Amino acid sequence: MKDQLLGFFDALRQAGMTPSTSESLDAAAAVASTGIERPVLREVLAATLIKDHADRATFDDVFDRYFALPLHARAAGRKAEPARDGEGTGRGGPGAGRGQQPEGESGRGMDQKHAQRAGEERERARTARELAKRRGLLAKPFRGMDGRDVEALRELVAELSRRLRVRWSRRVARAARGRLDLRRTIRRSLSRGGVPIELLLRAPRPGKPDLLALVDLSYSTATAAEFLLALLAPARGFLRHVTVLAYVDRPCAVSFEGGHLVPHEPLDLNARSDFGSVLKLLAERYDVALGRNTLLLVLGDARNNRRPPRADLLRQLHRDVRSVVWLNPEPLERWNTGDSVMASYERHTDALMAAWSPRTLSAALDELARVSLG
Amino acid sequence: MEVTRDLIRAGLAQARYITTDAVETVLYLALTLERPLLIEGPAGAGKTEIGKVLAETLHAELIRLQCYEGLDEAKALYEWNYQKQLLRIQADRDQGLSGEEVTQHVFSREYLLERPLLRAITTPRRAVLLIDEIDKADEEFEAFLLELLSDFQVSIPELGTIRAQHRPVVVLTSNRARELSEALRRRCLYLWLDFPGVEKEREIVGLKVPELEPRLQEHVARFVSGLRKLDLHKAPSIAETLDWARALRALQIRELNPAAVRQTLNLVLKHEEDIRKAEGKVSSLLAAATK
Repeated sequence: MKDQLLGFFDALRQAGMTPSTSESLDAAAAVASTGIERPVLREVLAATLIKDHADRATFDDVFDRYFALPLHARAAGRKAEPARDGEGTGRGGPGAGRGQQPEGESGRGMDQKHAQRAGEERERARTARELAKRRGLLAKPFRGMDGRDVEALRELVAELSRRLRVRWSRRVARAARGRLDLRRTIRRSLSRGGVPIELLLRAPRPGKPDLLALVDLSYSTATAAEFLLALLAPARGFLRHVTVLAYVDRPCAVSFEGGHLVPHEPLDLNARSDFGSVLKLLAERYDVALGRNTLLLVLGDARNNRRPPRADLLRQLHRDVRSVVWLNPEPLERWNTGDSVMASYERHTDALMAAWSPRTLSAALDELARVSLG
Repeated sequence: MEVTRDLIRAGLAQARYITTDAVETVLYLALTLERPLLIEGPAGAGKTEIGKVLAETLHAELIRLQCYEGLDEAKALYEWNYQKQLLRIQADRDQGLSGEEVTQHVFSREYLLERPLLRAITTPRRAVLLIDEIDKADEEFEAFLLELLSDFQVSIPELGTIRAQHRPVVVLTSNRARELSEALRRRCLYLWLDFPGVEKEREIVGLKVPELEPRLQEHVARFVSGLRKLDLHKAPSIAETLDWARALRALQIRELNPAAVRQTLNLVLKHEEDIRKAEGKVSSLLAAATK
């Protein structure tokens, strides 16, 4: 049995799952204590090796292939364990086994029960596949997304942004409580013989920050930009004034309505990205929106088409505003390759975060709340 | 107490918890391998109930930690009773005790507020620790929990290390509001708890609302199962099925018909949109349920 289990772990790894050594040991110990009756074995191995229901469909496939029943036993096996849907298992449809049952048992009630269980199994496999799809989508790079992915992502936005709002509101609440005011605490304690029974807090920093979001709309980053703006939409309650500027080679005021970007002035999407001139125009035309209370959020890949980066302008801005946070929608290993000049901007940001997939982008926004609101 | 499959089966039966062989197997494993058990699944499928039932089966104390955003060590593990310590310092100073003696007094178990996690470790009896909705807690808390779940010991700087006398049985539940870390998953056994099938749900209704006619019990189970297949905000939980069954009994409804269903639908569905969606499909759902 040991060899068989080791072979099974290998088969799982080949299917793309990664049971760790400790999990394999668990599985072996579990099998030793429960025996190898087929339906039990399936659940035991699943519980010890598969830690996410999203992987269950793959697991069942591998299990069915690896611990395949000999032909003559299949009919009997079908009775012993719930019928599974035949998809991808090469074991025939749910009807195949039932036909071979002895006459005496295949009454109507039995048949109906089988059909019902098969339906439940199918339902379970479907849930698993949906979970797997969702997990895949969250980890998928924006760069590789097609129209269908973008559509599916839109459906997730509501849920993700609700979660984000909860986290932001907690940050804000914590910040509003303020820090300990030592001077007043000690003074108050004098009336109690120097025992600081009551803690007094400093008044919180008044006012909400302004947000100026500067997003790159060129072809390579547009999906990430749209996702970012959709996620940020419900966060407006925590911000005083929100300005959204889109850019390719020049900043352009846009608004985000009903899930779509609406530019307020013509925007040439086919221009060549040039963040240097964007910075120049930003300082000239939008200096009103750039105050001490402004949080400047940049989403861009810092690919400048070999034009001057003008990092000196960002340094100036960094001095003027509350904080500068940069999200780069490219995977880390591509930064500073080719025409990317991330490094020259990095010095003048408070935080630089990778945001190449829906998951990393939402994590970055969490972090943003910590940097700017906490 | 030796853990056997029969013991678990008997325990579940006594606690009147109906489930599948697969779930029984996993519970047995969790107890024999002494691993934490991570249960995921839709809300209302009976995840929390498993923790309670396990405690009942093992005659163990149930210690429950409800997770929420912002839960921290002070609320989950321990906290010093600051005010009480101050009073003690005052009293000790009046008696002219030395600083060292005061420190010893103040940092003793008496001034420690034990929160659920610490209690699960220090309790002299065997305990079932139910960490409910771990997905609601922050990632930092999850990381902290990992340490505890692997060693079952806690280091309190002023007191030293406290080791569990009995390893508590740990059950974690999650609704997948957030993806849990790979590390946590690796340390746990995993169970996906879905809604029961029609057959099991009918059994549950029969057990908890025996006064309802058997035929109606079956129709209720089938109807709810049909409802769950619709794309709803929130699928009806088992508890809601039971509420509905009890209501039908109280209203002395003897047969599921469109009027009766419309009148009582708000017991199973709690969102206005869901109710509207389901109302449009009542007749087809009923046809499937009562065929």
